[in-house]
Amino acid sequence: MSALDDVCERVRERVGTVSRESLGRISATEFQRFAVAAGETDPVYFDDDAARAAGYPGAIAPPLFLSSVLGWGAGDSDADLRPDGAATGDAAGLPLGGLRLMGAGQDIEVHAPVHDGVRLVRETSVEDVTLKEGRSGPFLIVTILREFRDESGTPLLTSRENFIARPEAGT
Amino acid sequence: MRFFEDVSPGTKLEPLTVRPTPTQLFRFSAATWNAHRIHYDVRYAEHEGYPDVLVQSHLHGCFLLRAALDWAGPGARLRRFGWRNRGIAVPGDTLTCTGVVTDCRVDGSGAGIVECALEEHNADGVLCAPGTAVLELPRRSPESDGEDGRR
Repeated sequence: MSALDDVCERVRERVGTVSRESLGRISATEFQRFAVAAGETDPVYFDDDAARAAGYPGAIAPPLFLSSVLGWGAGDSDADLRPDGAATGDAAGLPLGGLRLMGAGQDIEVHAPVHDGVRLVRETSVEDVTLKEGRSGPFLIVTILREFRDESGTPLLTSRENFIARPEAGT
Repeated sequence: MRFFEDVSPGTKLEPLTVRPTPTQLFRFSAATWNAHRIHYDVRYAEHEGYPDVLVQSHLHGCFLLRAALDWAGPGARLRRFGWRNRGIAVPGDTLTCTGVVTDCRVDGSGAGIVECALEEHNADGVLCAPGTAVLELPRRSPESDGEDGRR
């Protein structure tokens, strides 16, 4: 059994196991920095009056904000990051050490807009893992399911994200 | 404001062209607390075999989604969105997001639902990211075409 088969089996053991975390209170500044960095100029992200005119109670986060932020807490110290700089939590804490990770896309379902002051709760699980053979060798595709809710349980966003995990060059 | 009644399958979205910079990539990594070196450490990116630091997976998604939302206008509500990362992009690349309406339907609640196929290409025509968006567009006269025949 190759090392990648072994990782695939260990990830597969995690399918269906749900972890639930409170991510804390979201501030408008956080999602507005995300909006600026992404090049967004739509006033619904920045201006409460413009958002109200569009039918929202106040400025809202861009739809991809929740599913693009990789860390919601203080994060790892530099020494605890993986050699590629990624934090172990970036891929739901899966046992992917020694592999190169790349985001490969998402599918999101929008349930309700995200506003300043929302207290976020996230449930994370592995939905699927597949071992594939590519032109440059074998790789894994891992699908991570994330459900974001507010603290009263109102669904905000469902995200399914695909990661590709490849062995380091030369291994 | 764009209305459901004004679009039909085949309607093209207005293209969006962006040119990401190293500064944008840095700030996007900072705003998402993404420490992956491939987005800001040129030597590391070269070690991985890439010509420069890479545009983040999620930033490709943001570009595609912005093309759809800008076209749809302020009355639209996003229901679903998805994208896949197929080709890399680096700072200085010119990325053009295009789209076409593939389906229009009225759901059980009377909402006008529009589905779009999206594509982000670089200046050489290489597909970097395909995607789909499902949007609810406002209706001009939802009561005029109900099954009860009201006018």
